[in-house]
Amino acid sequence: MTKEYSWRYITLGLIFTALAAFIVLQMIRIQLSPQAKYFRDRGNAVSGYWKTFSPARGSIYDRNGHLMAGNKTVYEVGVDLTNPARNPTTIAMAANAVLGLDYDYVFGLVSQVSSDKGIYRMIADFVTEEQKERLDELNDQMSIAYANSDDPDRPSLEGLQFRPHLQRSYPEGRLAANLIGFVNREGRGFFGIEEQYNDLLAGEPQIMWVPSDPNRVEEFPNIPPGASLVLTIDRTIQSEMEAILDDALNDTGAESGTIAIMDPNTGEIIAMATTPRIDLNEYWRYGEVFVDPQMTYNNAISKSYESGSVFKVLTMSAAVDNKSVAPDTMFLDTGAFEIGGTVIRNWNGGAWGYQDMVGCIKHSLNVCLAWVAAELGTGQFYKYMQAFGIGSLTGIELAGEVPGRLKQPGDNDWYEAELGTNSFGQGVSVTPVQMLMAVSALANEGKMMTPRIVLSMKKDGREYRTQSQVAGMPISAETARVMSNMLAITVEVESYSNAVVEGYRIAGKTGTGEIPTPFGYTSNVTNASFVGWGPVDDPQFIVYVWLEKPMTSIWGSEVAAPVFREVVEHLVVLMNIPPDNIRMQLKNSN
Amino acid sequence: MEFEILPGRTLKNLTAEKLIMDNVQRISQVYIEAPWRKQLQYVGLFLLGVVLIAMVAFFYINVTARAAAIGRSIQLMQSEIEVIRRDIVDLETEMAELTSYSMMVDRAGDLGFYQVDPDEVIYLQVPGYPGRQPVSLGSSKAPPLPSVSSLSPDYTQSLFEWLRERVFNPAAPLLEIEP
Repeated sequence: MTKEYSWRYITLGLIFTALAAFIVLQMIRIQLSPQAKYFRDRGNAVSGYWKTFSPARGSIYDRNGHLMAGNKTVYEVGVDLTNPARNPTTIAMAANAVLGLDYDYVFGLVSQVSSDKGIYRMIADFVTEEQKERLDELNDQMSIAYANSDDPDRPSLEGLQFRPHLQRSYPEGRLAANLIGFVNREGRGFFGIEEQYNDLLAGEPQIMWVPSDPNRVEEFPNIPPGASLVLTIDRTIQSEMEAILDDALNDTGAESGTIAIMDPNTGEIIAMATTPRIDLNEYWRYGEVFVDPQMTYNNAISKSYESGSVFKVLTMSAAVDNKSVAPDTMFLDTGAFEIGGTVIRNWNGGAWGYQDMVGCIKHSLNVCLAWVAAELGTGQFYKYMQAFGIGSLTGIELAGEVPGRLKQPGDNDWYEAELGTNSFGQGVSVTPVQMLMAVSALANEGKMMTPRIVLSMKKDGREYRTQSQVAGMPISAETARVMSNMLAITVEVESYSNAVVEGYRIAGKTGTGEIPTPFGYTSNVTNASFVGWGPVDDPQFIVYVWLEKPMTSIWGSEVAAPVFREVVEHLVVLMNIPPDNIRMQLKNSN
Repeated sequence: MEFEILPGRTLKNLTAEKLIMDNVQRISQVYIEAPWRKQLQYVGLFLLGVVLIAMVAFFYINVTARAAAIGRSIQLMQSEIEVIRRDIVDLETEMAELTSYSMMVDRAGDLGFYQVDPDEVIYLQVPGYPGRQPVSLGSSKAPPLPSVSSLSPDYTQSLFEWLRERVFNPAAPLLEIEP
């Protein structure tokens, strides 16, 4: 290389070096400039997207594994505003025809121009598989019909996008609606199991950055689905009970009703039928069914009422357990008993003469029970009622349980006369599930079982069984046996024949509760109830029936007792409980 | 007359040798300092650099392209997993709808079954049969998956990370041979 040419190479080298230096400096300047964030954001906007990985909501099954609440795929339908071939007119017409959306609304959305603020517009969500298939069909038909058309305004559904996601689905529709509850479109559970175990069922969603660059691909998080629950209910029994209840409401003209069944040995709720019910797949019609704000979603747990004479079971149990009275204790019923300045009278206003305690219960004598409560004493009476769980939540795993009201000495609104009225179920409000729990002490050798609705839970592939829980032992086993026998006799006598189930010895008690109003108690509309359990020698169920304001008769013995009988007649078949004589034969043959 | 300057070597011999050495040195000098030789060296060095860069670029592009292809496959498979999971859920729900209580009652009715009258029931004692037991959902399910990433490092580490691993962990085998 001669010297005369070397300067040219040196100059070229300097130019390239300067160019490189300029580029590097420019890069540094851009990195440090105020606009750097803008460029970074622009870059990030197309480099990937944040995706929420929502786990599938856990399923709910009945005790035999039948799906009561699951999930199914629905679609969010939107339009890609960057697609130049989209035809707002066609898309709006299709959305109007298939999805029932307003034409102008959709046309306005689809006609928007893509910008920094958005390249996608959602036009509908929770579109069903059938609706999506219809739109796909239309799209295919248009593609074929206008395949050779160059017209830029040719009918087309191009730009329409579907984003699948899961939605709650209830295969059984209305069945057990009042204890399952529902999930709204935001994924939040309302009422019943869905609300009580919302966090557990929903699982934990995770948000993750998903890069568009395949070189930066990362493993999607392995999000386990929400926990699945197995309920204690049997869908067959539940369905039968709902049918019986609906028939009973039709027959009696009652405003609403409840039938709840519990296994006294374990506290498992076998069925819980209440009215009204909604189709859980159309939960948004809730307001059409529950028109009155006073209406509760599940009367068995959320509505307390003055149960009337079924409460006498507890009063008599307390007195027998306390040895204040015995079954053969005699009482002279003169038709009136004065306590705290209030005169208590019988349901028919009559005097029943000498009665033993079985007679008092058998004829449901208010006067006798008020006397029994007085014999028991105020302190002991309320101590026992508290021990029975009256005025407290039972702890059943359902959202919306109320504790009822048990006024006690010391409360501003408690008067001495309350002891007399409370003894026969007036002035004290309870829920059906509270009564089930209290009565379970009588049917289960004195052990009062906490009612439970969840049998087991499956989470992360493991199954967790719930345990039966003894809520207390308010009475002795001996008292429980005595009371069961007394109440079996009451069912067997003529006045309660409506509750007799052929072949089975059943213990039970009717109740006719007057309804308190601001102007006193009503006599023409009542709450008719019946609580019973059986078979008496080996109780396997407790049934509670409540009909609110029946029209055909105000008496529990005439409207609630027949419903109880029908329930038990179905129940013994569905639970494989043989008649007493066959059961004894089978037992003796072992 | 020849004088021996060194044992066995005369002045004439030495002069001849020197001349030869000078010639060799001159030829070597000329060869070494030839312009074409220098240019060849530069070209050779440049080409070596180009080859090295090309090799690195080749390996980088090769690995990157393979990683991109595999990454894309992973993305597609992840989408497929999502679709399959949704399909499973849909099928479970569809099956539940088809076997719902009302549907089963209707089907039973169509097949001529009717609700049993309690008087018609015959009870049999089956020794050892415990009666219908509540369903168990957990027994046949697989244990929970470990939370560690199941993707091989081959799909996630960059070329430089791989080199660093090899440099700082020379004991690691260069080829993983499956047994």
